[in-house]
Amino acid sequence: MIQLRKTEALDPAYLEKLGFVWHTDSDETPYISDQLVILSEAEAEAYYEAGNELYDMFVEAGDYVIENNLFHEIGIPFNLIDLIKESWENDVHWHLYGRFDLAGGIDGKPIKLLEFNADTPTAVFETAIVQWAILKQNSLEEESQFNALYEALVENFKRLVTLEESVEAFEERYEGWKFLFTSIKDNAEEENTVRLLQHIAEEAGYVTEFAYIDEIEFSEEDGIVYGGETYELWFKLIPWEDIALEESDLAMLLKSIILNQKAIIFNPAYTLMFQSKAMLKILWDLYPDHPLLLKSAFEPLAGKKQVAKPIFGREGESVTILNADGSTAAAIEGDYGNHKMVYQAYTDLPRDSEGARYQAGLFFAYESCAVGFRKGGLILDNMSKFVGHIVR
Amino acid sequence: MKYLKKLSDYAVAGGVGAMLVAGLSGCQQKSDEGAYQGEAKPKGAFVIIEETAPGKYKIKDEFPADETRIVLKKLDGTEKVLTKEEMDALVKEEAAKIDNGTSELTQPNAEVTSQNGGMSLGSAILASAAGAIIGSWIGSKLFGNSNYQNNRKAGYKNPSTYSRSTKSFNKPRKSTAKSGRSGFFGKKSSASSKRSSFGG
Repeated sequence: MIQLRKTEALDPAYLEKLGFVWHTDSDETPYISDQLVILSEAEAEAYYEAGNELYDMFVEAGDYVIENNLFHEIGIPFNLIDLIKESWENDVHWHLYGRFDLAGGIDGKPIKLLEFNADTPTAVFETAIVQWAILKQNSLEEESQFNALYEALVENFKRLVTLEESVEAFEERYEGWKFLFTSIKDNAEEENTVRLLQHIAEEAGYVTEFAYIDEIEFSEEDGIVYGGETYELWFKLIPWEDIALEESDLAMLLKSIILNQKAIIFNPAYTLMFQSKAMLKILWDLYPDHPLLLKSAFEPLAGKKQVAKPIFGREGESVTILNADGSTAAAIEGDYGNHKMVYQAYTDLPRDSEGARYQAGLFFAYESCAVGFRKGGLILDNMSKFVGHIVR
Repeated sequence: MKYLKKLSDYAVAGGVGAMLVAGLSGCQQKSDEGAYQGEAKPKGAFVIIEETAPGKYKIKDEFPADETRIVLKKLDGTEKVLTKEEMDALVKEEAAKIDNGTSELTQPNAEVTSQNGGMSLGSAILASAAGAIIGSWIGSKLFGNSNYQNNRKAGYKNPSTYSRSTKSFNKPRKSTAKSGRSGFFGKKSSASSKRSSFGG
């Protein structure tokens, strides 16, 4: 059973003041749980180590995909392949941050990788700020969290310039390159997640600006232009596969912009490889029976309880849990039903006394740097709740 | 493990500490005011001022923001965001001192005295990037004063904060010719769901 500590729920007015406006779900229930998961120091340490090890494995797997030209197998749209190869080759395409979704790690259950949100991870605001706000409101100043997401992002923003572990040379090497931050209009969560990242980049020392995607001008010759200014650095909280499939002209322009070295885009295109759930199968091929992995394949696993998930699905959509006899244990409808599927061995998530299931979101920015939890039913969907934690 | 943190580690304002007090400064849902179009400099500044000794203040950090906000971190560890009225009153008080020649900011050797602890709160505000914005009406009698330019630096807790701030605030913006395409994802609006549809 997961150990929890009850707190006084956060005041929505306070959350709004912070810029965290998506505090209430569509059924009027609070999105932020008033409970905190209690982790031991050893559990926090194990998450930290797991994230670092998994990232190294993803880098190996990325190399393997590129060397063996497995882009089609992992569902990469053809018009992003050159961009992915180019971004993989050159260090300037630094991975800013990602989030591993993990089963286990608490309640004596082993840590298992569910997926890696490497391209457009959300829950940054929840993890970096709201978790601390819960402690602040409850006067828990002396409780610890495994949570340095904010500082780790400041540091990793600086590494986009230093391109090495040390960030000391940032001020010396940063030549005032302008950093544009972008989301799609009319989604407060995405916009404020991006604005938080912009704020953190400012703190790191960048000149920044915010613009919605439709307001930006993309040009092969001039690069990324907004308000008459050219931007050398661009962060977009827009999935690469959406760019490839819905705005293929933009994908082409971005390819030219990168090849002509007019701008650098974050997260880099190669993070789409990591984001593909087909990588779970590639990882299993490369690291069979690895303790952090669950058996995964492109076809149903014979005689095993398993989860079928679309390789670029989101928020649990079109996910099905299949019993060992092939019958359906749980399913969520969605738009991804005709996508390529990956079949991953089922692992039960740790539960609290009321039977709610918990999944860890482990952030990675150069190294593992923070954890937060989501709780929900058998399949975590967009009604799942965010749960903070303390370490003791 | 190095990433185990306590809230009390953030007692020094800045980063998460500042966010928890002031929130996402300049974060606005509406943004079609055309405010960004060709504007030469950011409209405001986010400034964190720390009390370093009783009645003595230094600028801990500052960065450009859409709205001007000053977070004050007091000696007893409490934090507050100065209201517009408080900022204006402090700036007005300091302006009077400038007029009668008693402001630290315009003293020729204030750098020496200010090194033992900091400046008055009004001086620190005017030394910060926010000073030029909320105290713009004071004009050249302050901002054109060469002692002020020297003394400003002394108001910063850490010399790198000063150089970083000037770097981020002084970038002039030049314009480029139009030749590209825009309007991508222009028709895409989010579904009714409040939460993001991607990111897991």
